[in-house]
Amino acid sequence: MRNSAGSGIFNGVISLRYEAGTLLASGLPDGERPPEPFIRDPRTREWRAPASAYREVSLALRETETPYTDDAAAFEKLVLESRVALEPRPYQREALAAWRRSGLRGVVVLPTGAGKTAVAMSAIERVGRSTLVVVPTLALMKQWYSILSDAFGSSVTVGLLGGGYHEITPLTVTTYDSAYIHMERYGDRFGFAVYDEVHHLPAAKNAIIPKMMLAPYSLGLTATPERPDGGHGLLPELVGPVVYRRSPEDLAGTYLAPYELIRLPIELTAHERYEYAQADAVYRDFLNKHRLSMRSSEDWQRFILVASTSHSGGREALLAARRRREIQAGAMRKGATLETLLRRHWGDRCIVFTKSVEEVYAMSRRFLIPGVTYETPARERKEILDRFREGRYRAIIASDVLNEGVDVPDANVAIILAGSASHREYVQRLGRILRPKEGKNALLYELVTTATGEEGTSRRRREAFRGATA
Amino acid sequence: MLRSEHVMARMARGRLVPHRIPPDDARALEAAAELCELYATHVGEPRASLEEKITLTEEALGPRLDARRGFKIVRALAKLLEERCEWSAPTASDPYTVRTRIFELAAALPELPAVESNLLETVTREDLISQVAREIGSDDPISLMYADRQGAQVLSVFEKPTPEGLISRYNVAQVQGVLYAARELVVDLGEGCDARLVLHYVKKLGLIYALEETNRGYRLRLDGPLSVFGGTRKYGLRLAKLLPGLLLTAPWSLSATVEWKGRDAILNLDSDAGLESHYRGPKDDGETNEVREAFIKAWARAKETNGWELEERRDILPLPELKTALVPDFVLTKSGERVYLELLGFWNERRLIERVELVREAARRGHHVLVAASENLGASRETLAEAAHGEVIPFKNRLEVKAVLAAL
Repeated sequence: MRNSAGSGIFNGVISLRYEAGTLLASGLPDGERPPEPFIRDPRTREWRAPASAYREVSLALRETETPYTDDAAAFEKLVLESRVALEPRPYQREALAAWRRSGLRGVVVLPTGAGKTAVAMSAIERVGRSTLVVVPTLALMKQWYSILSDAFGSSVTVGLLGGGYHEITPLTVTTYDSAYIHMERYGDRFGFAVYDEVHHLPAAKNAIIPKMMLAPYSLGLTATPERPDGGHGLLPELVGPVVYRRSPEDLAGTYLAPYELIRLPIELTAHERYEYAQADAVYRDFLNKHRLSMRSSEDWQRFILVASTSHSGGREALLAARRRREIQAGAMRKGATLETLLRRHWGDRCIVFTKSVEEVYAMSRRFLIPGVTYETPARERKEILDRFREGRYRAIIASDVLNEGVDVPDANVAIILAGSASHREYVQRLGRILRPKEGKNALLYELVTTATGEEGTSRRRREAFRGATA
Repeated sequence: MLRSEHVMARMARGRLVPHRIPPDDARALEAAAELCELYATHVGEPRASLEEKITLTEEALGPRLDARRGFKIVRALAKLLEERCEWSAPTASDPYTVRTRIFELAAALPELPAVESNLLETVTREDLISQVAREIGSDDPISLMYADRQGAQVLSVFEKPTPEGLISRYNVAQVQGVLYAARELVVDLGEGCDARLVLHYVKKLGLIYALEETNRGYRLRLDGPLSVFGGTRKYGLRLAKLLPGLLLTAPWSLSATVEWKGRDAILNLDSDAGLESHYRGPKDDGETNEVREAFIKAWARAKETNGWELEERRDILPLPELKTALVPDFVLTKSGERVYLELLGFWNERRLIERVELVREAARRGHHVLVAASENLGASRETLAEAAHGEVIPFKNRLEVKAVLAAL
């Protein structure tokens, strides 16, 4: 302890305080300075450090046996008892041990479907301090809410911050966007921060989130920590180093479910094809006449601009363009095919995915099956997925699976309603998280609307279709 | 406030010029009027159909307004109108209960409810819907199913602005939009500028200021707690919210360092830029202002002031630890001595306590601050004197010069 002689006011005790995402140190005599990384803030004449310095500063003060009072930390001990059995798989246990060895800080890299959430839950239990879970999307936020409520609901109320929710509890789930806005108010309330899909954290905006938090412990989870902008270099500073890493190949066969992929091309009906061809011709004529290309959304705005100011044929081209899109989106046979598949798999656990939120609601109304989108309130979403798991609901339709990491709860059949051919990796990822029934493969259907009417390919596709649904 | 994607500005010699619509632009006024009318006639209708109409309006009005940016301008105007809307639920029944009942009944069937009736006499979709209709006493459960979605909400109140008002709000909002990306804002407050008002917003928005005296007034350098560790855009939104507060007073000029399209740029603006605030300002001091003005007149008429001068300029006494400053109502000087006079007007208790705390802090730093308090204030003279650590000059409806001179 640096006892400075002659300073009567100084009582020898440094006091730490949290203020708006920063840590303040006071009670020092003139001429003395608190440990690194505190700096003198000339604006307010105070010693100030980013809140994230809390761990380093407390350790330094303790090591040098400097007396200090901690008025900063507002997080609490959290005794959690899981209601569901957390039986970590061997690699999950290894991951946890590696993370513990690095001082309860670090990044765990596991492929989708390998149970990153389970690792986080064990870690939360292990740390036993107020915890904030940060996720990229509202859908994931609601999913974590439901998983954490299931496990720890008897010990703690799970809080939500973001998407219209503003309820802070010792176990709170939030999004990166909301954490960015609100953490300077709540950064003192959590001792542990879990970052799901942690490759989002190095983004310029998000990187400030851990800086605003006292949390001495942190865990990052992802399947792919690398960022094209090289931002992953910041991860060690923000959450800690990569402490454990397994690739899909490491775990294939043993832990990830096998599945069967069935592609179903959706043909336009004769009437639709006729209408489509007409609309398409009008639209393309106009594009050619005005030498317009159509590759991006700016091109689309440009088209509208030209069409709506053109005196000849502009209005017609606009209508044709809209009609063309409508036909593509609402192809009759898509609904009919979905109906066939739902009927066929009514005895299975079937989940339907689509990119369009509107389509979710339309299909939910049509087939009377529950829809889940980012709009669905957290509690209702949990209720729907619980009932689906219990078998009280046979099928559900969801829009938000596009978002990374959203778990598919115990479905053995998945149907993807894609407007066009989907991203291959995305399909694979989905396939991996299906749960096959005993002795059977999980099934993954992909319905692709094809708007071009080449005879040869369409015949081949029709045959494939008959083959798949017969 | 606008979304970032509607913010437009061009660079001219390293300076950012936010997009602006001339207040007398006939086409823009026409478009603004049409949009206002669109919202006004939509009261009672659902949000989803309003959005469709806006898309159509955008396509119709946008290109006429501006070949390149018309779409964005129309969108931005609509966004600002959106702030003047209130929405309400379209139905009294609970959509959650209705849909849950429907899903449960459907899932309990041995097969997917048939969309059309068939020969096999299984339960059809129609059968199921009529059962629920009977249960809840409504003839259209399907349309109720998702009536709690945002798009189904009904526009209940719309506060219609004038087209001129909308354009004026737009011009401020574009500058605010540029400020979203600001790391720091430097404001020079000129003589006569209401620093107290500016500091009120600085404190309210959780910003931190550094104060410098300049030869023409004061310079405020504004950012937030974390900025001291390196510039951050985190406080840009708050700096943007400060702007309408600044626009309530004059003269001032500002300069902001903005991260614009990956590069640093400067935004300059002053109180003569012709922008108008839409803030109402803190509920204040009408009566105190009267007392203040009456005192200035009385001072000018007074025959004897014992050599004391009343300065026109107001000082700012920075209280950085409190994140604010005291801006006393008057400065009295006599051969190098400066005495401040602070009027406590007709405020509520909280504001009174805040102000007394500032006076006390300033006194603790060696400033000589006299307090004049209205007798209508409620608090006793002794309590106030004790709170302010000094003598209090009481006044009724006007502050007498004699009373002040006696206290000096």
